[in-house]
Amino acid sequence: MHGIKRTRLTQEDIQAKKQREQTKITEYLALTEQVLSRKKHKDWSEDALGLTSKLLQVNPEFYTVWNYRRNILLQGLFPRGTPEQNNQLLVVELTMTMGALKSHPKVYWIWNHRRWCLENIPNGPGEAQEDGADGWKKSAWDKDLFVVEQMLDVDSRNFHAWNYRRYILSNMPKPRPEKTELTYTKQKILSNFSNFSAWHQRSKVLSSLWASGKLGESKSKENEFKLIRDAMYTDPHDQSVWMYHRWLVGNDISQEVLEREIETIQELLAEQPDSKWCLESLVHYKRMQLKNHKEKVDTQVLTGECQRFLAHLGELDPMRSRRYEKIASQLNTI
Amino acid sequence: MALDIPLHVQYIQNLGQSHDELAYHLTAHLRLNAVYWGLAALCTMGHKEALDREEMIQFVMSCWDEEAGGFGAHPDHDAHLLSTLSAIQILIMQDALDKLDIPRVVSFIVSLQQPSGVFAGDTFGEIDTRFLACGSMALSLLGHLDKMNKEKAVEYIQRCKNFDGGFGSCVGAESHSAQVFVCVAALAILDRLDVVDTDTLSWWLSERQQPSGGLNGRPQKLEDVCYSFWVLSALSILNKLDYIDSDKLTAFILSAQDPEGGGIADRPGNMVDVFHTHFGVAGLSLLGYPNLQDLDPVYCMPADLITRMGLRKGWKALPRRTTTI
Ligand SMILES: [Zn+2]
Repeated sequence: MHGIKRTRLTQEDIQAKKQREQTKITEYLALTEQVLSRKKHKDWSEDALGLTSKLLQVNPEFYTVWNYRRNILLQGLFPRGTPEQNNQLLVVELTMTMGALKSHPKVYWIWNHRRWCLENIPNGPGEAQEDGADGWKKSAWDKDLFVVEQMLDVDSRNFHAWNYRRYILSNMPKPRPEKTELTYTKQKILSNFSNFSAWHQRSKVLSSLWASGKLGESKSKENEFKLIRDAMYTDPHDQSVWMYHRWLVGNDISQEVLEREIETIQELLAEQPDSKWCLESLVHYKRMQLKNHKEKVDTQVLTGECQRFLAHLGELDPMRSRRYEKIASQLNTI
Repeated sequence: MALDIPLHVQYIQNLGQSHDELAYHLTAHLRLNAVYWGLAALCTMGHKEALDREEMIQFVMSCWDEEAGGFGAHPDHDAHLLSTLSAIQILIMQDALDKLDIPRVVSFIVSLQQPSGVFAGDTFGEIDTRFLACGSMALSLLGHLDKMNKEKAVEYIQRCKNFDGGFGSCVGAESHSAQVFVCVAALAILDRLDVVDTDTLSWWLSERQQPSGGLNGRPQKLEDVCYSFWVLSALSILNKLDYIDSDKLTAFILSAQDPEGGGIADRPGNMVDVFHTHFGVAGLSLLGYPNLQDLDPVYCMPADLITRMGLRKGWKALPRRTTTI
């Protein structure tokens, strides 16, 4: 149970609540009994489907009933339906689960059921090899992308929705150009720099675009450095931005870019001398310099700076002081 | 505030008696998992006997799905990997594995591994690194780890690794503390902790601690008692428990107790449930809280039991304290 305030009930309150719930319990158990007994008897009828809708509306977490529902469709209704009818059945499923999802956006089973529906949309309305042969599929997957974007407008960190969105983008019959995802994530980021889910998605899309050569890595990286610089200055206390920066810098960046980035952060630190994330990042990047570019830097000066920053971090952020001490103790062995 | 063990034991004992509450019936799909949470919490508090052993074993066996060869969460519910793992954990904790048709359940679990290496939760095929961990854990507890494709499983986990050192629920997914626990525990079981980028991941895990002392699941999310276990177990497997402030976290977990009715909630002042009670107590055990039993962070079961089975990995919890301060 998450986020439900505890209320202190008197004995009378408790009794009254139990009284009120009694009828609901009786009805719920009767419906459950009815559904499970039909399931046992392999009742694949439309009637049974109606009962599962009723039960799932009360309790969308009842995974066994979702399974039963799919079996009713697979064993009972699909075999005797035309492709048109079966497509229509699945459109109804998608509409029904959309309502369930809006009130229960974090129930795994509902998301699963939608995936199953999408994957079972038949070919049509056209004949095979014809244009429009996958028209039903296209329209269902497109619609779901729209639905999931609406869900992300309501809660931009819902990981179920992000996962589902990635699933749709990589499986839809007519894929969208991958680059459109850069626009989407940027728009999410600009409306809230703290949306780590969007930064995460952006890192995945960019990695894939760079690896496939669809986007030139060095130029695109420079654009990202620009974007992240704005974010850093807007909210230097936001860890999402700093984590993304760390990804962007990576492990094999040139000494030149690394120095430029260190300089940028140092300028920010001058404005915000107690910024934990500035200090943390500077320690990380300076240790990188010590490790990767030893011959080009003044080891003693860098080590001294790191020691100083780590001591400062220990004071600013005592909960994690042991980690800072550990890093400090390893400095001389780099 | 100290941990009120007698009150929590009583709270867990009473859970089975709430048939007159609607919420009890609406959570039937989690019943077997709830029995495991209750029993594990009792074991950690040193009161395993508080629930009747015979009755519990009988209930577990009544959840057996003969058609599938696994356990559902409740009698007449379909077999699922989550409830099958709970059943195995309970039967082992109650020393009743002789009741189990081990070859059948092993073949059910093995049948859920996908060509990519990940496991599905049931025959309808939802995949998740949670299920990969459940499968590895269950097979390892039954002594049949060699029946799964370990290399493929490790490969899949590797593909779920993110730049922040964490892991997500499937390829491409954002890091989340609970998924970090399942992936790190699975890697520990598969003896492949070398896959973990320890420095980056322990940094990310330490950043889960919030000013209240509680831990959250992802950046910019609220702290919650259940993350005390997900984050702490991973840190203890990586031997980095000192990267967070254990006193502050202990105080946060204790403040989420219901001092009247017993049980622990997700956050102070909220409704308690057996899930958070178990994970709160589990977290306290790893933090060395006095008068608790040692808990194995990999299997989330009593440590002495796992050690006796020869399954103990190289994790480290904080030393058990003798006083509360
Ligand atoms: Zn929780």
